[in-house]
Amino acid sequence: MIDINIEKTLQGSSKDMQLSINLQIQEQEFVAISGKSGSGKTTLLRVLAGLESAKGTISVFGKRWLDGHHTLAVQKRQIGFVFQDYALFENMSVEQNLLYVAQDKELARHLLELTELSSMAQRLPARLSGGQKQRVSLCRALMKRPKLLLMDEPFSALDPSMRLKLQHDILRLHKEFATTTLFVTHDPSEIYKLAQRVVVLEDGKMIQDGSPKDVLLKTKGSQKFSLQGEILEIYKADVIYVAVVAIGQQIVEVVLDGHEAQSFIVGQGVQVSTKAFAPTLSALG
Amino acid sequence: MNTLEAKVSKIESIDGVSIVSFVTLDVELRMMSLGLNTPIEVGSEVLLGVKASSIALVKNLHGILSISNQLQCRIDSFEEGSLLWSVKLLFGEFRLESIVTKSSAVKMGLKRGDEVVALIKSSELSILEVKAKG
Repeated sequence: MIDINIEKTLQGSSKDMQLSINLQIQEQEFVAISGKSGSGKTTLLRVLAGLESAKGTISVFGKRWLDGHHTLAVQKRQIGFVFQDYALFENMSVEQNLLYVAQDKELARHLLELTELSSMAQRLPARLSGGQKQRVSLCRALMKRPKLLLMDEPFSALDPSMRLKLQHDILRLHKEFATTTLFVTHDPSEIYKLAQRVVVLEDGKMIQDGSPKDVLLKTKGSQKFSLQGEILEIYKADVIYVAVVAIGQQIVEVVLDGHEAQSFIVGQGVQVSTKAFAPTLSALG
Repeated sequence: MNTLEAKVSKIESIDGVSIVSFVTLDVELRMMSLGLNTPIEVGSEVLLGVKASSIALVKNLHGILSISNQLQCRIDSFEEGSLLWSVKLLFGEFRLESIVTKSSAVKMGLKRGDEVVALIKSSELSILEVKAKG
């Protein structure tokens, strides 16, 4: 088990924030860390990696990484780290990038095969696409057979189709290597597809911890289809009222009765919900 | 949103689909639901909701309907639009609103004081709030 119990004061733009994490992670678990920017997600990963200091204790499968003033050096932590930027050695080929971490040609060959990069083993990073570079970063992170894989929004610079490919690779690699993984992301579909568990941070505190379905499915009573939006306009049409609501990049309309129309105001944040029986799906054209 | 206070009388679930029965003013109501993550049990007091546009009206009801929820109501007032009518109903102590097309309202000859049955499909009924546990 990984047992994290840390405190750290973070300097925010307006006020200081206390990062306070008490988290236990089982071996082989895939945990998504979610939350708004500035909630402490990246700092948590950096503390785990040993790149930042913190008060408290971190023990990883019986080994103390942090204990009062004693800190285990970064290079002794057996961590794989995948960042948003690829951080590959530009003067080394894909294969050399992997072998630089560990001289294990067999593992390098196997990882490149799993991620369908075998044909690019001799290429320099400059000749790879963003998605390919990120897959190389992922392979490289696994070359040390780490005890813990840390990923900080590894997909955020990629286009949607590349994201899908990388998600697929991550699932395949997790199935094969069963590396305990902490994964920072904002994307609910990513969390749902990849993680067994999601921890939501807000202002440095853990505010939710559960299965992706329990945490992500926003419901209101028995209403299963629920989205957050903002009322842009309420107008009367014949004897009914229509609220125009912005949800993300989309505008939707919701019919209200007179009583409801009076209880909402333009600009108000609202939850748009309906039962799971009402919405219909159609393929995107 | 129309609201009705009711008490849970029965919960049946299979594969995450549930049928919950309620009693309000001695009338049984039924709700179809996908999963039940509201903490209810038999005896819980809940606030049920149904959109005004999801209530159909019928006069002189006979025959057998698949619609689970049939509430005996009296027409209290109308708001008459060019295409739609908002019909204000009294179901015992509860006030309900039904939105129907003007043509239906005219065809039915709806007028103040009429006895009508409000029909609500079980999939249109939802729990808005749990007021008290059972």
